[in-house]
Amino acid sequence: MAIVQSKRKTLATVFKITILILLVLIFFLPLVSMVVTSLKTREELFAVPPIVFPRVAQWANYVSAWTMVRFGKFLLNSVILSVFYTLPCIMSSCFAGYAFSRFRVRESRGVFLVVLATMMVPYMVTVVPLYLLITKIGLTDKRWLWLLFGMQGAPFLIFLFRQYFSTIPLSFEESARLDGANRFQVFFFIMFPLVQTGVIIAGIFAFQWSWADFLQPTLFLTGEKVPLAVKLARGYVDQKESLLYNVGMAGLLYYTLPIIVLFFTLQRRFISGLLAGGLKG
Amino acid sequence: MRRNRREVERRTSFYLFLAPWILGFLLFQVLPIGWGFWTSLTNRMAFSTNLKFIGLANYVKLLQDPEILYSFRTTFVYALLHTCLAIVTGLIGALLLEREVPGRGVFRTILYFPYMIPIIAVGWIFRIFLDRDTGFFNVVLLKLHLIPSAVAWLAEYPLGSIVSLAIWQSGWSLIIFLGGLSTIPNELYEVSTIDGANYFRRFRHIALPLLSPFIFFQFVSSMIYAMQTFIQSFILNPRPLRGEMLFVSPPPRETFFVMARGFFEVTGKNRFAYGLSLLWMLFVVVMLITIIFIRLGGFLVYTEVEEKR
Repeated sequence: MAIVQSKRKTLATVFKITILILLVLIFFLPLVSMVVTSLKTREELFAVPPIVFPRVAQWANYVSAWTMVRFGKFLLNSVILSVFYTLPCIMSSCFAGYAFSRFRVRESRGVFLVVLATMMVPYMVTVVPLYLLITKIGLTDKRWLWLLFGMQGAPFLIFLFRQYFSTIPLSFEESARLDGANRFQVFFFIMFPLVQTGVIIAGIFAFQWSWADFLQPTLFLTGEKVPLAVKLARGYVDQKESLLYNVGMAGLLYYTLPIIVLFFTLQRRFISGLLAGGLKG
Repeated sequence: MRRNRREVERRTSFYLFLAPWILGFLLFQVLPIGWGFWTSLTNRMAFSTNLKFIGLANYVKLLQDPEILYSFRTTFVYALLHTCLAIVTGLIGALLLEREVPGRGVFRTILYFPYMIPIIAVGWIFRIFLDRDTGFFNVVLLKLHLIPSAVAWLAEYPLGSIVSLAIWQSGWSLIIFLGGLSTIPNELYEVSTIDGANYFRRFRHIALPLLSPFIFFQFVSSMIYAMQTFIQSFILNPRPLRGEMLFVSPPPRETFFVMARGFFEVTGKNRFAYGLSLLWMLFVVVMLITIIFIRLGGFLVYTEVEEKR
């Protein structure tokens, strides 16, 4: 009986692994296509019959991707915008999450519902009029706007921080308060260090959002100040304005790389932190 | 008296901690939404000189335009496909990774990973992946003899192409459902196994009801998100595009979603008021859909506590 049971269990595991490997292979295909395309010559891209792998890997495409658009400059733009957005966004969401988890005032629930309701607002409904308003008062091409954009936090992160704070026992603060610390001292010296995982997760999310955001920079910034998302959205073109798929893929790989690195260095804490604090409760 | 002072102190602290959010909310939500609505009641264009209040004329015009109504329909169909398929994919992934499986962490990371890739990059990856001549997808299918000749996926199945991209990025539902499954106590499974329930009965009577709040949450938030799809329409536009034309030439009808139209009207055609009223209509539709689903959700979601009538 026991042997039959364990045999069935092994069979089930083998079955699961097979499906998982199949799934992973399918999920990998677009990425493989991306890398392979970036290493082909133009002739190989349009070869008839189509070929799978390039004869010689064209690493030169990666050089062109960097030099054709002054990549370094736009990369710096992206970093500046993302940092400008991420820092205030973390702080503001953390503050708000703390407020919602700790201060029992009558309207707290109502205000929290307003925060959640803002998730329902299509972002273009706010961003497009904002763009018209801001250009009207002449504030075009200002990168510091991102500091303000971050200041409103993000509903999802506020929710996340609220969950994290509500797992911390009240007694931690009470003893500090008895020792004479004020609200802000309690927050900065006791509570904030206790939600490090939340800060990392919020940081990754906020960074990734602003790194990937196309709409706001395309509306608020022009020419030399646009980030990679805007610059690369149109693809790489040669003098005749025809698209260079291979160089384009190389450029997009550069653009995606920081996110990949960020994700893989922090992913263990990231996913388990999301599972532990963010979703339950 | 003393109680009152503590109450005031608590309230002050509450609002102090909330101050950045409130400021941002007023500046970047209330103000633009209100002003945007007001502008949608006028005839504002990019360089218009005589600004007139025209009431709901823009909305009337929108409702009479069959293209707009069609656009709302395809947007809704797309959002539904996006949401359902991403949920199914995420659910399958989560169920496979639920128990002790060798390499669990690695599989989880790989399946979640595409979600992290910026949408611009994902758009281009799929544009090239699904291309008729250069696309890897055709090459693989041809090598496996699954299709007789190369298919122009973007042109023949524009909606399907964008949906496939959504499935690829379903890692978020995977994480939500893994979180949901981890809340199910192990004893429930053990007891049911002893009672002789097989895998599918366990799924149907234990996992699915206990997971239903998570599925519902994911359904609503994904619908809201998918109704706002716009950049995919432009990047996966099957016409042979050249750099600068990407956001200037309209995508095919099937994938010209409401958001894409709004963006196009405002930035491409400079019809500010008209574009804004279109966006406002989408806002109302999203709100209505959310409310309807939340109402329906009360019947479909399993809860431990019996509701009082």
